[in-house]
Amino acid sequence: MAIGILKIKRKGKMTFWERIYIPEILRGIAITSCHFFINLLGFIPHILFNNERKIFTLYYPEERVKYPDAYRGRPVLVLGDNGVEKCVACGLCEKMCPALCISIQPGETKLSKERYPEGFTIDQARCIVCGFCEEVCPKEAILMSQDIEIANYNRKEILYKKEDLLVPEKDLRMRQGFVRGAFARWKY
Amino acid sequence: MNLIIDLTKILFIFTLTMGVFAPILGWVERKQSALMQDRIGANRADIFGFTLIGLFHPLADAIKLITKEDFIPQGANKIMHTIAPFISLVPPLIAFAVIPFGGEYIINGRKISLVIADLDVGLLYIFAFASLAIYGPVIAGWASNNNWSLLGALRASAQMISYEVAMGLTVIGVFMVYGSLKLTEIGAGQEEFFKWGIFLQPLGFFMFLTSALAENKRIPFDVAEGESEIVAGYFLEYSGMKFIMFYMAEYIEIITISGIVTTLFFGGWHIPFISTNALISFFSLLLGDTLANIITMIIHIGVFFTKVIFFIWLQMTIRWTVPRFRYDQIMKLGWKILLPLSLLNILVTGIVILLT
Repeated sequence: MAIGILKIKRKGKMTFWERIYIPEILRGIAITSCHFFINLLGFIPHILFNNERKIFTLYYPEERVKYPDAYRGRPVLVLGDNGVEKCVACGLCEKMCPALCISIQPGETKLSKERYPEGFTIDQARCIVCGFCEEVCPKEAILMSQDIEIANYNRKEILYKKEDLLVPEKDLRMRQGFVRGAFARWKY
Repeated sequence: MNLIIDLTKILFIFTLTMGVFAPILGWVERKQSALMQDRIGANRADIFGFTLIGLFHPLADAIKLITKEDFIPQGANKIMHTIAPFISLVPPLIAFAVIPFGGEYIINGRKISLVIADLDVGLLYIFAFASLAIYGPVIAGWASNNNWSLLGALRASAQMISYEVAMGLTVIGVFMVYGSLKLTEIGAGQEEFFKWGIFLQPLGFFMFLTSALAENKRIPFDVAEGESEIVAGYFLEYSGMKFIMFYMAEYIEIITISGIVTTLFFGGWHIPFISTNALISFFSLLLGDTLANIITMIIHIGVFFTKVIFFIWLQMTIRWTVPRFRYDQIMKLGWKILLPLSLLNILVTGIVILLT
């Protein structure tokens, strides 16, 4: 016998109390109107004194949910504190990407890292937000951000160029910490 | 002078139902359903950044619907298609004419009765117009030249005619108790709190409310519309202002039903435990007779419309609580339960009246 099968006993017939219908309807109305009045009274202090609302639905564009650190939004490139991207154009993420959405054009630079990506594009329309690129990156140069608003009218506009991808390191501290904590146990 | 008074009353009721209640009920419905389901509801429409808890939505809707294309399908009967929304809008509005929203007051020696038309056949008039309301859906469904519309119209007519019978028989108990068909007299008979219709005709109240909801074709009795079964029923082929006229008719019918229920079962304009004479004499001690009458009149109108608003709230709550009946369940409820119960109600009422 398969595991996890529950047998639920269903009542065959309704009782007389349920069949007269009106008491059960009144019970339903009591439940819904309880919700109505609790929420209505919860709104008044919110409007008058700007207190916290009772309803947990958010006014979306103005209020946002804080995602957990493990949340994977669109991948971004980390812009180091010195104003240069951390990426060394090794091409590991390009190789790793299962959706083939990353393409890198490497170039030479006089900085100590010697290589840098001349062009770095992520086709967000193809990206499956798996996070492999972040996992494979030896320099912590590509991280998953919390940004999920990629909707657009045009596919060309979600083909992100290098300029669109760069995000300063200080905005990504939380994710950086999470990545270090999560991948440290693998001892690469 | 009488003409002016009558016109004022008509204007008052007309602006209140068409101008205030009907547009706002659309907003109320959205907002109330949102609160009942732990949501926030309409709040996006704004003028210069003020949203006013979504109260501009009726305005935005009106602008949208007026500027929309008025579409008449190919093969439809143009005249009937155009006339149907008007036919369904007018009867509930006209039925409000006999509903008293206040008692009789003496102002400057002139007797003012707060009802537009104090007909001797009051309730029969309401039933006459309630049965006229069937023509709107039927003509709309037939003239649209669409199978779903026709199915919706058939269901609407079957349902409305079935419940018409139960509704008419239910109310007979009320006339038997108050001894009159005039709505003003029925209202005046309920001055004492324990003579309200709900205490004298409790079964009648529930049955009347049920059949009135069924007459209005709202959930739980909305098989005529049934968006998951027959797309949108009889107003499937309508768009723009004509489409919203069906909705307006529905909302005005809610108000009319609330008015009738208030008058028949919930004491009309009377405040519990406070009689009209007590109120007038209390105010006339301070302010003199005429002013006392005017203040009493305003209080009574307020009380009446508070009760109406309560019943609107109740109908909205029922609409967002109960799921839709199946078609055979509706017919069974109408013919096998409500009809015998209403006959039994008449019998019991008659016996009680004979014995007391």
